[in-house]
Amino acid sequence: MSDLPELLVTAFASGCTYGLVALAYLMILRPTGIINFAVGEWAMMGAFAALVLSGMLELPSVVGILGAAFALAAVGWLTEWSVVRPLVVRDAGHLAPILVLLGMLVVFHQAMLLIFGGGDEPLSGPFGFGRVGLGPVAGAPQDFFIIATTLLVFGAVWLFFERTVWGKSFEAVAINRRAAALMGINLRLVTALSFAGGAAIAGLAGVLDGPRASIEVKTALPFAIQGFSALVIGGVNRVEGALLGGIVLALAENLTQRYAPIPSGLSLGVTPLLLIIFLLVRPAGLLRAKEAS
Amino acid sequence: MRELRIPTNWTRRGFLAAAVLGIATGIAPATGFAENIKIGVITDKTGNARFYAQPVLQGIMLAAKVVNAQGGLLGKKIELVIEDDGNKPDVSASKAQKLIDSGVVAIISNSSSTSSQQAQNTTIKTLTPQVTHNGSDTLTRKLDNKCFFQIGPLGSIQIRTLMAYAKSKNYKRVALMTDNTALGQILAKYFKISLEKSGVKVVVEQVVPAGAKSVLPQMQKVRAAKPDAIFQAGILGREMVLFFRAYHQLGFKQQVLGSFNLSIPSYLRTGKDLMEGVAFIDAFDPAKPEAKTFIAHYKKEHGKTPFSLPGYGYDDLMFLVQAIKRAGSTDKVKVCAALQATKGYRGVMGAKTESYGFAAGKRTGFPPQGAVVRLIKDNKHGPVVHSGTK
Amino acid sequence: MAGLASQSWLRWIAATAFLCVLPFLLQPYELDLYRKLLFWVALAVSYNFLFGITGQMALSHFAFAGIGGYTVVILLTQADLGLGLAILAALLLAGILAFIVSFAATRLEGFYLALATLAFAQLLTVVLDEGGTVTGGTGGLTSYALPTVFGFKIDGPWYALVMVAVFLITLAILVRIDGSWFGRACRAIRDNTEAASAMGVDVARTKIIAFTLTSVMAAAAGMVYAFFDNTVNPPVFGLENAFLLLFMVIVGGSGSHAGAIIGAVLLKMTQDILEPVVGHYHALGLGVIVVAAILFQPSGLIGTWNGFRARKKRAP
Repeated sequence: MSDLPELLVTAFASGCTYGLVALAYLMILRPTGIINFAVGEWAMMGAFAALVLSGMLELPSVVGILGAAFALAAVGWLTEWSVVRPLVVRDAGHLAPILVLLGMLVVFHQAMLLIFGGGDEPLSGPFGFGRVGLGPVAGAPQDFFIIATTLLVFGAVWLFFERTVWGKSFEAVAINRRAAALMGINLRLVTALSFAGGAAIAGLAGVLDGPRASIEVKTALPFAIQGFSALVIGGVNRVEGALLGGIVLALAENLTQRYAPIPSGLSLGVTPLLLIIFLLVRPAGLLRAKEAS
Repeated sequence: MRELRIPTNWTRRGFLAAAVLGIATGIAPATGFAENIKIGVITDKTGNARFYAQPVLQGIMLAAKVVNAQGGLLGKKIELVIEDDGNKPDVSASKAQKLIDSGVVAIISNSSSTSSQQAQNTTIKTLTPQVTHNGSDTLTRKLDNKCFFQIGPLGSIQIRTLMAYAKSKNYKRVALMTDNTALGQILAKYFKISLEKSGVKVVVEQVVPAGAKSVLPQMQKVRAAKPDAIFQAGILGREMVLFFRAYHQLGFKQQVLGSFNLSIPSYLRTGKDLMEGVAFIDAFDPAKPEAKTFIAHYKKEHGKTPFSLPGYGYDDLMFLVQAIKRAGSTDKVKVCAALQATKGYRGVMGAKTESYGFAAGKRTGFPPQGAVVRLIKDNKHGPVVHSGTK
Repeated sequence: MAGLASQSWLRWIAATAFLCVLPFLLQPYELDLYRKLLFWVALAVSYNFLFGITGQMALSHFAFAGIGGYTVVILLTQADLGLGLAILAALLLAGILAFIVSFAATRLEGFYLALATLAFAQLLTVVLDEGGTVTGGTGGLTSYALPTVFGFKIDGPWYALVMVAVFLITLAILVRIDGSWFGRACRAIRDNTEAASAMGVDVARTKIIAFTLTSVMAAAAGMVYAFFDNTVNPPVFGLENAFLLLFMVIVGGSGSHAGAIIGAVLLKMTQDILEPVVGHYHALGLGVIVVAAILFQPSGLIGTWNGFRARKKRAP
């Protein structure tokens, strides 16, 4: 039954893209407590940024990928500076930033629709299409590329949080904002960096996922929902949780679609169903927070 | 002799002004003050049917230009009133009402079948003529709307044409792919009926839901069933590309035969190199005399050779024009009757020898022999390889 | 005191009269816009009670409108129930579902509640899409019509009056509740859940009642909607509109009934009026308005109005 290993490759690749979006949420959520639903738009925008760079300007794919990440980092930074900071500065409550980001979601979405239209566009990855692999463990080249890149990114982020001073300051801010400020941590910089970093990671998710089919503006909301579901499932407290949540979600979707005797359309209900179940039964997610040492 | 004096009294001035206006408007038509003939178009400029609707709209506008350049319709110019429904059915119904209120003679429905269906709920109230080239078989059956006419290639015609082409290949067991849109489901239904009527067994049916992230599970099931060929009744863009990617990833070699959806030119871009050799239904034979004329007009206007899509729009408008001409007026009842009575009208679309016409009591006008099969070769639409259902 | 009471009665009567007469003066297209506007306004006031007054940021309001619309049509055309019975059954179903959802969600706060209700709305869309001939699938249900009521065919401007009635009843109930201890309990929960609990408010029960009541009101509006174009399909009750509803309440002034009305009227009319003029840019403008509202005037337009009135009072 060579079906299962093949399916697992695709599922893992999808899970990685969900995990990246979940990581984007996490980057912003941890230090600021803000749930930024616009990361879905940022993922979609990353794909289109790569389209402009490698599709229209015909630069190499890798330039497209990195360029998209940088472009989105700038977008994230600008967003924080223009609409989030004013609210945080005047202590507008915890709901206001979430709502303003929902407003920005609409702004981004409509702007992209105006620029690129509602149809789909082809985004080519660094490798062609077809099939590569060893024996039964085979898949599209882009799938392996996604998995490899995601592991790299997660590794880098984990190192950042665990081993660097900057990363530890993120954690300090997450635990206690006031104490962190008193210790001399520059809150504004941490917040700005978290938005920039989150946006870059979200953009990356979009660029990696794009070549698997074609890209369109419509994919933004699904990214946002799947990413958030992955975050809730994996656990909002740990970086590894984001990836785990994404993989669990993708596995559930793909295995249901392949083996469950229900119409394919119903497998689209797996994500919202899992989200509801976890929110109600185990809101902390699969991975518990690490005990404070 | 008393001098003619303009009254200083305001009431009398008012009467005089009214009299002058009344005479002026009364004389105006007699002196040929051309009022335009307004024809409404509900199209999708911003929604998910945009890639299909925009090229078709080009064809509608081209037809209006051609008619106006050749003297207009009943001595008046055609004025297109275009509304965007974003392919949202409830907006479509609203826009239909808006167009009717603004005095259009007829409405062309250029969004999806669902939108055309919902717009019918509005046009039926005033029996405003409504025309479309959508291909759903149920459009003229759900509502008994005596003034709704469908001149597009029905799903049932498409599959019979595909099968006539495939007859020489002797397929015994095939796979049927579709998506969960209304049109995709209807096309699949008629594909299956026709296949089974001809003794071809559909051994596996798979649905790609809108928004699917991966088609691998479905394609693995298809692979397991070992079909001789794959019939593709889906219509969604991105999901279609997903399908073709999975097709190549899993190393499929079977022939893919698709509906008229695969004639949309944007697939040549989004599915580049993925669709070599795919057979698809079209209603356009560039060698048809009327098609040649259309291509010449299009080239003059846009500077390049058209794909088939603008031809649908061109025919939509020209079909209305020929009916209005025969009715001799823009009265809705007369136009409806003239539309229904259309027989043997040769349009741009349809195979070389074919023409539009309506059987008594039926409002689907695409000729049963009018569809053709073409192949995608070198990322281009190849020539016609088969015509009709024989 | 008596003067004030009769003043507000007078306002109600004047407003009712205006809303009832207007449909008969409008062209068919304008009438269509009017009743769809009333539909949004009705949803906005009930949503305002849920979000603005009780602080429950739910994204399921439109889903319940869809449940109301679909259920009444399905029962009418497929179960062959009479209109009255179909309406009652639909309201009951909406109530039961809302109760279940809110019961499960009492523990969820803030955006987590939003996401859970969003997931519920998504599940509903999936069920509708895959419902085969019962729900009409992705194309929805069409070709049904409102049956005659006591021999009368309610159409055109008369049907708009039905929407007016549903809106006014919704508003009247909400205003009445708002003024009672229940309304105060809701506001207490919105402002500080722990403090409310300490003051003796049964937080869970209040939340459940507020959610169930407003969701049933949404279902009622949805039922009226179903017979506007005689069509219901999944996109109408989807997520896009859920966000728009939230924005209406924010821009108008969350927590205020008048604010909800103003927000809904403003945003919906902006859509209808601007769209033919500036095309799709109107949707972008909407997002900008919302962001501007939150940044510069969080208490919404009604906040601006109140501030203006307060300044006038202070002026000598």
